[in-house]
Amino acid sequence: MATSERFDPVILEVLWTRLISIVDEAAAALVRTSFSTVVRESNDFACVLTDARGYSLVQATDSIPSFIGTVPRTIREFLAEYPADTLCPGDIIATNDIWLGTGHLPDVTVAKPIFLDTTLVGFAGSVAHAPDIGGRIRSADSREVFEEGLQIPPLKVVRGGVLDDTFLRILKKNVRVPDQVVGDLFAQFGALDLMERQVLALMHEHGLATLTELAQEIQGRSEQAMRAAIAAVPDGKYAQEVVTDGFDQPIRLKLELNVCGDEIAIDFTGTDPQVARAINVAMCYTYAYTAYGVKAALCPEVPNNEGALRPIRIVAPAGCILNSRPPAAGGARAVVGHFLPMMVLLALSRALPERVVAGVGSPLWCVNYAGTRADGKSLAGMFFMNGGYGASARRDGYSVLSWPSNISSTPVEMVEQLAPLKFVHRRLRTGTGGSGRHRGGNGQEILIESRAAGPLVVSFLAERTRPEAAAPGIAGGEAGAPGAVLINGAPVDPKRQHLVEPGDRIELRTPGGGGFGPAVERPAGAIADDTLDGYVARLA
Amino acid sequence: MTQDLSLGIDIGGTFTDLVAYEHDSARFHSHKVLTTPDDPSEGVIDGVERLFSDARLDYAAVKRVVHATTLFTNALIERRGAPTGLITTAGFRDTLELRREHKYELYDLFIELPRPLMQRRLRLEVDERMLADGTIETPLDEAGLLARARELVAAGVESVAIVFLHSYANPAHERLARAALAREFPALHVSISSDISAQIREYERTSTTVCNAYIKPLAERYLDRLSHKLEQIGIGAPLFMMLSNGGLTHVAEAKRVPIQLLESGPAAGALAAAFFGRRSGVQDMLALDMGGTTAKLAVVEHGEPLIAYRFEASREQRFMEGSGLPVNISTIELIEIGAGGGSIATVNALGLLKVGPRSAGANPGPACYRLGGSEPTVTDANLLLGHYDGERFAGGTMVLSTEDARASIDTLAPATGLDSGQLAWGIHSVVNESMAAAARVHIAERGHDARKFALLVTGGGGPVHGCEVARRLGIRRLICPPAAGVASALGLLVAPARIDRSQTLAKRLSELDWQALEAAYRALEDDAGRVVTATLSAAAKPAVQRLADMRFAGQGYEVVTVLPPGPYTPASAAPLRAAFESAYETVFGRRPPVAEIELINIRVALSAAAGGGELALGIAASGAAARPRTHRVARFATETRSAPVYDRNALPLGTRLSGPAIIEESSSTLLVPPRATARVDACGNIIVDLETS
Repeated sequence: MATSERFDPVILEVLWTRLISIVDEAAAALVRTSFSTVVRESNDFACVLTDARGYSLVQATDSIPSFIGTVPRTIREFLAEYPADTLCPGDIIATNDIWLGTGHLPDVTVAKPIFLDTTLVGFAGSVAHAPDIGGRIRSADSREVFEEGLQIPPLKVVRGGVLDDTFLRILKKNVRVPDQVVGDLFAQFGALDLMERQVLALMHEHGLATLTELAQEIQGRSEQAMRAAIAAVPDGKYAQEVVTDGFDQPIRLKLELNVCGDEIAIDFTGTDPQVARAINVAMCYTYAYTAYGVKAALCPEVPNNEGALRPIRIVAPAGCILNSRPPAAGGARAVVGHFLPMMVLLALSRALPERVVAGVGSPLWCVNYAGTRADGKSLAGMFFMNGGYGASARRDGYSVLSWPSNISSTPVEMVEQLAPLKFVHRRLRTGTGGSGRHRGGNGQEILIESRAAGPLVVSFLAERTRPEAAAPGIAGGEAGAPGAVLINGAPVDPKRQHLVEPGDRIELRTPGGGGFGPAVERPAGAIADDTLDGYVARLA
Repeated sequence: MTQDLSLGIDIGGTFTDLVAYEHDSARFHSHKVLTTPDDPSEGVIDGVERLFSDARLDYAAVKRVVHATTLFTNALIERRGAPTGLITTAGFRDTLELRREHKYELYDLFIELPRPLMQRRLRLEVDERMLADGTIETPLDEAGLLARARELVAAGVESVAIVFLHSYANPAHERLARAALAREFPALHVSISSDISAQIREYERTSTTVCNAYIKPLAERYLDRLSHKLEQIGIGAPLFMMLSNGGLTHVAEAKRVPIQLLESGPAAGALAAAFFGRRSGVQDMLALDMGGTTAKLAVVEHGEPLIAYRFEASREQRFMEGSGLPVNISTIELIEIGAGGGSIATVNALGLLKVGPRSAGANPGPACYRLGGSEPTVTDANLLLGHYDGERFAGGTMVLSTEDARASIDTLAPATGLDSGQLAWGIHSVVNESMAAAARVHIAERGHDARKFALLVTGGGGPVHGCEVARRLGIRRLICPPAAGVASALGLLVAPARIDRSQTLAKRLSELDWQALEAAYRALEDDAGRVVTATLSAAAKPAVQRLADMRFAGQGYEVVTVLPPGPYTPASAAPLRAAFESAYETVFGRRPPVAEIELINIRVALSAAAGGGELALGIAASGAAARPRTHRVARFATETRSAPVYDRNALPLGTRLSGPAIIEESSSTLLVPPRATARVDACGNIIVDLETS
C-alpha cells in the first residue's frame, strides 16, 4: 500500500492509536461523570473527533451502532448554521433535533470547535442519552414529535466559555430531573474539553499544524479497506423484504442492496409510509443501522470513521417510515430501526452466506410496570430481555443475546427486590431456534406472578410476535419461532396497556433465532447432543 | 547458627520462581525452574532442592512457606477441571446459559461467548423457593435433591455446585442441601453459593460457584500433595496460600474456596511493586510489569494496590473485558495488555504496523534467539536498536543473533517501504504507544490523571520500555527496583494475612435495622477473624475494615465504599452517607441530587501482618565509582547516541548519572534517555527523572 510522505505506517499507527485512546479516554470520563443509567450501562453515547470540515477521524470504541456517522453529520449541520468564521475558542453548539441528530429527542449532540492558536483545526463531538427530555415517558403512543419533549435546534449554548443562561433556564423548566439533565450536559462538555486538550497536546508533540492531512490518511486507508471488502462481494442486486409486528397493522420494509464494483448502494424504496406513532425512523438512524450491517458483515475490523462509510450510499424515500418527515414522532424508533442491519445481512446472505448470521430474535423486549405499594407509595420500573441469536456457517446461534444494540437483562433477584413480582421461571424457550445444519439460538420464557397489593399497569416492548415477523433462516435454514405475550395463559396484544390484578400471571416468550443450512445436514452427533441437553424439545 | 528462613514459591505458566529470605542478614536467594504442568509440585520440589543446596540453606530453618500459583486459572482456561454438576431452584437451571445477554464486542457477528463449564444435561432443578426477603415460599424437596444428585453422580460428576435463588438472603436451603449430600454422597465435592459468594445477582453468583466447584477437587489434590512433599524433604513449616486480594490464608481455607486464588501470582507482583515503591517514599504509582507475552499494569494508591471486587476467568478474548466467566472475588486490580518482548509485528490490511497481541512467547521465541522463530518481535527490534548486548543477554546465558533479528524485521520492508532501522524503531514506538493507550484509558476509568503517578517498572521488558511509556503518559519519574526478575516472588514474603467476606443486604439506608446491620458485620468479622487467627496465631489482632457496595436509589451499579468503623447505631446514618458520597465523588467526579441511598452488599476485610512485616532487604553497598563497562550506540527517541553501559551491580548507592545511559543487570536492561537523570537511591532502587519539556 502506498505510503504518504508525511505519515509512514509507523507514525500513522502511533497517531491513530493515540487518537482512539483520546476518544476512549473521553468516553471513560463521560461514563464516570454522567447520571444517565443508559449511558452507564448500555454505552448509549459516543465521543468523536472530526477535522475542521466535520469529517470524522475516530469514534470511541464502545459506542453503540446507532451513532455510526451521526455526530460528524450533526457537526456539518452545525457548520451550516454557524459557519467556521463565526466560531470562537470555547464555543459549544448543541441540538437534539431528531432529523439533524440521532432520530429521537433524548439524544443530545454537542460539539466544540478546536483551535490551534487562531486556526480552526477540528471538532470534539459527543452525543449522549439524557436522563429526561420532557414529554410523555417512553411511550410509543406519541403521534407527533411535539408530544415527545423539548426540541433544541442547533444552538450555540456556550459562547467563549460562557453558558447561555436563557437556554439553561428553558431546559431546566422542561425536564423532570433538571439537575441530572444539566449534570449530564456538563459531563458531555467535560468530555469535549478533554478531547480538545489531548488533541492539542498531540498536535504540539508531533508538530502538526492541521488535522486535515492526518484525517485524509486515516479516512483514505479506511475507505480503501472498505472498498476492497465490497469488491470481494459478487456484483448484483440483492432484494430483501421484512415484515414487523407494527402497531395496528404490520409494517413492510423493503430494501434493494446493489453491489457495483467497490461500492454498495442501498435503497429502501417500497417501504411503508410513516405512521402516527413514535416508531418512525429518521434518515440518520436508518443510515447508522444500515451501515452497521454492512460494516459488521464485510469489514468489522476497520475503526469507525468517515472513510469506511464513503463507499456506502443509503437512500429512502422521504415520508416512508425509514425517512420520516416532521412532525413524525420517533421515540421508539428502535423497534423498526433494529430490523435494518438484519435486512442487510439477509440480503448479503444470498451472495456470502458464510459472512453473515441468520435472523436474530431482536429487537429488544421490555416490560414496564406501575402501581401502588401496600403502604400507598407509588412504584414503577422496567426490565429488559432478548431473543435468540441467529445461526451461522460457524456455529449454532447463541440463546438470548442482545443485538444489534447491547442491553443487558436485569437479574431476577434484583427485580424481585424492587418490585412486587415473583418469577415462577426464567428459562430457555427450547425448540424455538430455527432448525438447520446449525440451529438458531433459543429464545427465553419468563413467567411472572403479580404479588402487588393492587392492580399494576403493565406495558411491553415486544416484536416478532406475528408469524410473518419470525426471524428468518438463511442458506436453507428455517425461521425461529415468533414470540408471544400471555396473561393468565391467554395471548394478549403486546402493543396495548394491560391491567394486571394480584395473582395474575404474565408470560413472556421471546422469539428464537433463524437456522443456517438445511436441517438434513445437521450431524448426527449434534442431534444426539441436542436431545440429551433438551435444546430442541418444545415446551410450549 | 542457622538463620530463620521464609520461602516463597510462585508457579507461573512457564516458570516457577523460588525465593528464600534470610531474616537476620536480610539476604535473599532465588532460583527459577521450568514449570511442570502435569504435576507442578514436581518442579517446585526440584527447584527447592536446587536452591537450598546452592545457597547451603537448611530445610529445618524454614519458618513459613508462601505460595502463589496459576494452576487454577489455567485449569479454567484449558477446561481441565473436574466433571461438575449444577443444581438450582426449579425454573432456573438455565441461568448459567442465559447470562446477562450482552456482548463484549459490537462488530463481531461471530462473537464467541465463554463456554459454560458443564453441559445443560448436568444442570438440574429441585423444588424449593426463597423470596427476596428470605422467607421460605416452598420448602426444599430433599428426596428430589438426592434423586438429582444420584443422576449427576451416575453421569460421572465429581463436584456439585448448588445455587438457589435468594440464598444470599437466607442460606437455609443451600445448607440443608449440602448436609444431605454430605450424608448420602460423602465423596462428592459440594460448593454452595451462599458460602462461596453470598451476593445478589443470580448469574454472577452461579458462575462464581460453578467455577469454584470446577477447580475444587483439583485444588484439594494438589495442595495435599504439595504439603506432603514439602514435609517429606524436611520443610514442616506452615504453608500459606496467596489470595487474589494480595493476602495470605491457610491451606484449609484455600481448599474450601480455591476460586479466591485465581490471581495469586499477579497479586504478588503488584504487592512487590508497591513494596519497592514505598521503600523510595513513593505512594502513588503505576506498576508496569512487561514480560515475554503480556504487560500487566496495576495502579498503586497510598502505597497499596487497588482492589477490585469482580474478576473474569478464562476470557475468550484475552485482552477484552467482558469475554470471560464472571467471578465475584476480591482481587488486586490489574489490566493485561498484549505487549511483551515476544509480541509479533505485522502489517495489517490498512497498511499499518501493528505489534501483538500475538506473541512468539518463549517458544519458538524471537527470531534473534535462533530457536526456530522467524517472525519479527519486540525483542528483535530492541536488539537492532542497540538496547541489548547480544553477547551477554539474560546474564550471559544467551547469545542473540543480530542477523536473524534484521532478517525477520526486513520481511516487513516491502509492505511498508521502510528500512530495518526505521522498522525497528517503529516496532518499539508502536508497542510503547499501545501500552500507553491502554494505561491512559484504564487510569481515566478510575478517575485519575496519569501525570500524578510515578511509573515502577519490572519484568524483562519494563526497564527497556519504561521511559518512553512514561513520556507518552506525561509521567516524569520512573522507578526501577533491583532484581526485577524475582520481584514478584518477593511479593509473597511481604503479604499480610488478609481475608475478605461479603454478604448481600439490599436495603435502603433510611430503612435500615441498625442492630441487624451491626450483627451482620459482626458475623462476617467473626468468620474472617477465625481464618486469620487460624492462619497466624490466636494472638493475632487483625485490623478490621468495613466496606459496603452502595448506590443512589435507581442506579444499576454500586460503589464499594470504605465505611467508618463500628459499632453502628442509628447515629451512624450520617457518617455512612457521608462516606458513600465522598467515595462516589472520588470515582465519578460529582454526585447526583438523589436523596435515597441503597446498601446492596456489606463487606469486611481483615488483615494482619504475617512474618514480621516489611522485609528489610539488605542492599549491597559494594561497587566503587560508577564507571561504564563499555559504550554502545543505541537509538533513543529521536536520536541515535553512543551511550555508556553500566553494570547495575557495580553501581554504588548514591550514584548519579545523566542520560543517555544503559544500565544492565542479568534479567533486564534499563534505558536512560538523553537529558534524563538517574540515581541509585539508598534502598537500591534506580530513580529516573525525565526532562521536563
